[in-house]
Amino acid sequence: MMLGYIGRRAYHSVISVIGLLTLVFFLTRLTGDPSALYLPLDSSLEARQAFARLNGLDQPIYVQFFQYLQNLMSLDFGQSLRQNRSAIEVALEAFPATLKLALVAMTLATVLAIVVGALAAARPGSLFDRVAGLVSLAGASTPDFWIAIVGILVFAVGLGMLPTSGTGTALHWIMPIVVLMLRPFGLLVQVVRGTMISALASPFIKTAHAKGMKRRKIIFGHALRNSLLPVITVAGDLATGLINGAVVVETIFGWPGIGKLMIDSIIQRDFAVVQSTILVTAIAIFIVNIAIDLLYAVLDPRIRY
Amino acid sequence: MGNKSVRVIAGAMVVAGWAGYAAAQSASEIKIVLPEQPANLEPCGTIITNVGQILSRNVVEPLTIIDPKSGQPTPGLATEWKQTDPNTWQLKLREGVKFQDGASFNADAVKFSIERMTGGKLTCSNIAKFGDAKLTVTPIDDLTVEIKSDTPQPILPTLLSVVMIVSPNTPADKAVNDPVGTGPFKLSSFTPQTVVLEAFDGYWGEKPHITKASYVWRPESSIRAAMVETGEADLTPSIAIQDATNPKTDFAYLNSETTAIRIDAGFAPLDDVRIRKALNLAIDWDGLAQLFGEDVQRASQMVVTGINGHDDKLAPWTFDAEKARALIAEAKAAGVPVDTEIELIGRNGIYPNGTEAMEAMMAMWQDVGLNVKLTMLDVNDWLRYLQKPFPESRGPNLLQMMHDNNKGDAAFTVPIFYTSGGSYSTFNDAGLDKEVADAMAATGEDRTARFKAIFAKVHDDLAVDIPMFHMIGYTRVGSRLEWKPDITTNSEIPLANIALKD
Repeated sequence: MMLGYIGRRAYHSVISVIGLLTLVFFLTRLTGDPSALYLPLDSSLEARQAFARLNGLDQPIYVQFFQYLQNLMSLDFGQSLRQNRSAIEVALEAFPATLKLALVAMTLATVLAIVVGALAAARPGSLFDRVAGLVSLAGASTPDFWIAIVGILVFAVGLGMLPTSGTGTALHWIMPIVVLMLRPFGLLVQVVRGTMISALASPFIKTAHAKGMKRRKIIFGHALRNSLLPVITVAGDLATGLINGAVVVETIFGWPGIGKLMIDSIIQRDFAVVQSTILVTAIAIFIVNIAIDLLYAVLDPRIRY
Repeated sequence: MGNKSVRVIAGAMVVAGWAGYAAAQSASEIKIVLPEQPANLEPCGTIITNVGQILSRNVVEPLTIIDPKSGQPTPGLATEWKQTDPNTWQLKLREGVKFQDGASFNADAVKFSIERMTGGKLTCSNIAKFGDAKLTVTPIDDLTVEIKSDTPQPILPTLLSVVMIVSPNTPADKAVNDPVGTGPFKLSSFTPQTVVLEAFDGYWGEKPHITKASYVWRPESSIRAAMVETGEADLTPSIAIQDATNPKTDFAYLNSETTAIRIDAGFAPLDDVRIRKALNLAIDWDGLAQLFGEDVQRASQMVVTGINGHDDKLAPWTFDAEKARALIAEAKAAGVPVDTEIELIGRNGIYPNGTEAMEAMMAMWQDVGLNVKLTMLDVNDWLRYLQKPFPESRGPNLLQMMHDNNKGDAAFTVPIFYTSGGSYSTFNDAGLDKEVADAMAATGEDRTARFKAIFAKVHDDLAVDIPMFHMIGYTRVGSRLEWKPDITTNSEIPLANIALKD
């Protein structure tokens, strides 16, 4: 049953990916001829025409498209105009850095948000609830580029505790993760708190209280499990956003991820890399979405596929 | 696993992290942080800033080197040169030079490198400096080579400063990311995070102080500046004016870039010289300069001092709104449609405060009575207006631009800007075309004088464009290094010129 569902979703996903790649192919070509961006400004018209010829950009767009499809059949995703190498290799090289960052940031944000949100909901209006509300709202609404730059000024330049940017040691991870997790943490605390307050007011919780069950077990064992479906929906949405690339964090901290690569490729009209980064992230997002659907079924036995 | 074990492991990880972070560099190794990741390391693209700053004169070397002060070619891998007829030059090559892969540097290697550049099988940015010239290279003997052009090339030795000599084992039909040259450093690694160069023991010249250089890239100027301040990096070649706050480490330098507004003289009212002069007179240049810092220099021509043809005595237009209004009134009285809307086309991110400069200039032109409207475009759209063929739907327009010439001669500027066939030119003046052709064919002092005369004519008489400022770059140099930037820093940072303080 479950395998059949996964098969159907995968089949639909393949159709969506093909549609997406077709759309991206034509939309990127609408942005114009990239030869002017790749040659010096004082290049002659002949040089620009030669560049277009060398890279097949002088062909009619439908010919380029059929060539692209033909190459896809043999898993040839094209060459990066900027980097002189396979576009899919460029995309796959950048993706793990984004994935690792997103995974750690989302895991920490979700776990912390569940704990803080649940505890805040357990005593609405308490000091803890108010502090949690303030911190989560600040985290959700403060621009990440500002936090990143202030963080660098304080912890790297001022205190010298952390490196400004880059990768290499465990310390290089701290600021990017903290900056990246603040927004998801803030939003998820709000969601967990809201759904938990509703769940804690449910009749089955009153029954649990009446049976003399321990408070911790009621909150984390019964109420929380029943509140998690909306949390997972929001967390999944936020996770797909991070998989798409944390452009600001990647740019400021020099993190070699796929978000910045995608933006740079769009600006540079590096068509093959744009298509490859979108292909890689689209597949990852489809996988995350299927995983979230499966998680629904695990958490709520009433859901069947 | 107990709590104690977890704490020990976590503590060890943090200590290891700190140790790794702190021990990033040793005494003779340096780290340079660039604004952009080099897209590739193809030696035929060293005129692209972030490629040239890594490769040029570090991994690969040119035949000649332009002296930043005089603008004249000096020996590189070629030690002597002479012109045997207007189309032919003979070069003597340096003896005892080896490539980093062990191959010998000789006349055949020069022929291979030039033919690789001109062969059309790979995208070669550097070849743009040669225009449409067709070159034929013939080895005379092992260390003598003859270069013949289909058109006279009086400044071929200057042009040869962009010819990077690569090993004959380099593929001739595709761009590479693992260049092999004759320079004092060889490429050790190139990843999406860093480029590492290591000293080449077999280098023909003086051994550099530095043994290893790592390049990383951060687009944010404030982060680059912070990296040098904290000692994470030793040098960053381009920081924003607002980040250049430490006089001990931050150096301002004339960076060979000149900003300007191109006037499309093909449309009324811009085809009238009085309106073009009024456009130059209407700008409060001292006020505008505040956007670019106190070191910026007002420009009267499109090349900086030190470039052959630059005229130090050519005075820029000064602010005189009353005179501008008078010229516009005079033109109006003569039937020029001065009320026609003029589109001012700017480019997003062209240089710091570029948008603010366009808004200020638009307001100043409106103030003297011209109907100027600003449109900001992204680079690809903007390029359509910069280069021929221009969009047919355009009307009277002014184009924000910036030009970089650090190649020693006005020949890299004048033809493209001011001749009828120039790719940026909107001007058609047969007399000017002739003067440019004569200057291009001239040599020595005659050449200099002719280019000076052209700059004076396009500025004072024709007011073809609106030169704005010779721009200033700011570089932060860490306390370990003994080095100062100059006009060539935007295109190369020779590591051999960097000394380490004791």
